Amino acid sequence: MADKTLSEQESLALITNMIQKARNSFNENGNGAMLWGAVVGLCGLLSAAKGFLKIDLPFDPWLLTLLAFIPQFIITYKEGKSNMVRSHSDKAIDAVWMVYGISVFALVAYFNIIGPQSERLLQDYGYEVFRKEIGTDGYEPMRLFPLSPISLLILLFAIPTLITGITRSFRPMIVGGILCYLFFVISLFTNTNYDNLLAGISAIINWLIPGLIMRKKYKEHRRTHV
Amino acid sequence: MFKDLDPILHSQLRLAVVSLLISVEEAEFTYLRDKTNATAGNLSVQLNKLKDAGYIDIKKQFKDNYPQTLCKMTAAGIDAFEQYVKALQSYLQAGQNGTDS
Repeated sequence: MADKTLSEQESLALITNMIQKARNSFNENGNGAMLWGAVVGLCGLLSAAKGFLKIDLPFDPWLLTLLAFIPQFIITYKEGKSNMVRSHSDKAIDAVWMVYGISVFALVAYFNIIGPQSERLLQDYGYEVFRKEIGTDGYEPMRLFPLSPISLLILLFAIPTLITGITRSFRPMIVGGILCYLFFVISLFTNTNYDNLLAGISAIINWLIPGLIMRKKYKEHRRTHV
Repeated sequence: MFKDLDPILHSQLRLAVVSLLISVEEAEFTYLRDKTNATAGNLSVQLNKLKDAGYIDIKKQFKDNYPQTLCKMTAAGIDAFEQYVKALQSYLQAGQNGTDS
């Protein structure tokens, strides 16, 4: 491209052409979405299987999510190296997912702290919670715990997914986010085993399937825009 | 009365660069070169003109031991681009009205 002066029509055509080119800069390869969809999906399904089939696992399947951080760091590093451009929406979406990550950690902290802390606060007021098994007369002290914690996780899954879907006009994530809200409501009426199953299905619908679709689109885009 | 078109923006390569940068948060020099099909030397000169006018920020850094040049629109650049497009629209509208009458 030379440094020539343009007519008004040429200027307008050039602006339109360049904005179109910038919009066609497709960065999203779906690797992160596939990784988290697969790992969280597996954790949910394993936890559900553990509960339904009474399998004895020596660890909590949800701890496997911690392992996913290693490939995620590699993906972030490699994408940072290869991306030559960063769009306005990239910046906003990265911020949303970062806040989501912090919120997941905060929620897990809530799950672990709120029970014992509530017992302590009740004791400060001079109360203790007891439970009574139906049909018996005996009472025994009850350990407090957060109710339906997986429901809250499913609710949290929906937020960044739906924001990403709407911002990128990416229908699979919009559908995934909406289904997540539906699963959240269903999980309020089901036990922990079904909640885990719904969490696993949510991750697959929210991230794994959209990630695979993104990957396919990315490859097609690379083939046609070399 | 027509506004004069900003001479800094009213040139093919500089307008192409600004049109790309207005659409993104920031872009590397190589991205701009690839999208505009300009030579590195010419692009570098035009980027410096845009920088001197205060329309873009240029950040030079090292990434994996290779020099990296990142370009980003400034608030003044965004404002100038908006004014340029408005002026362009008024010219084109006047042309349209002239043809209609």
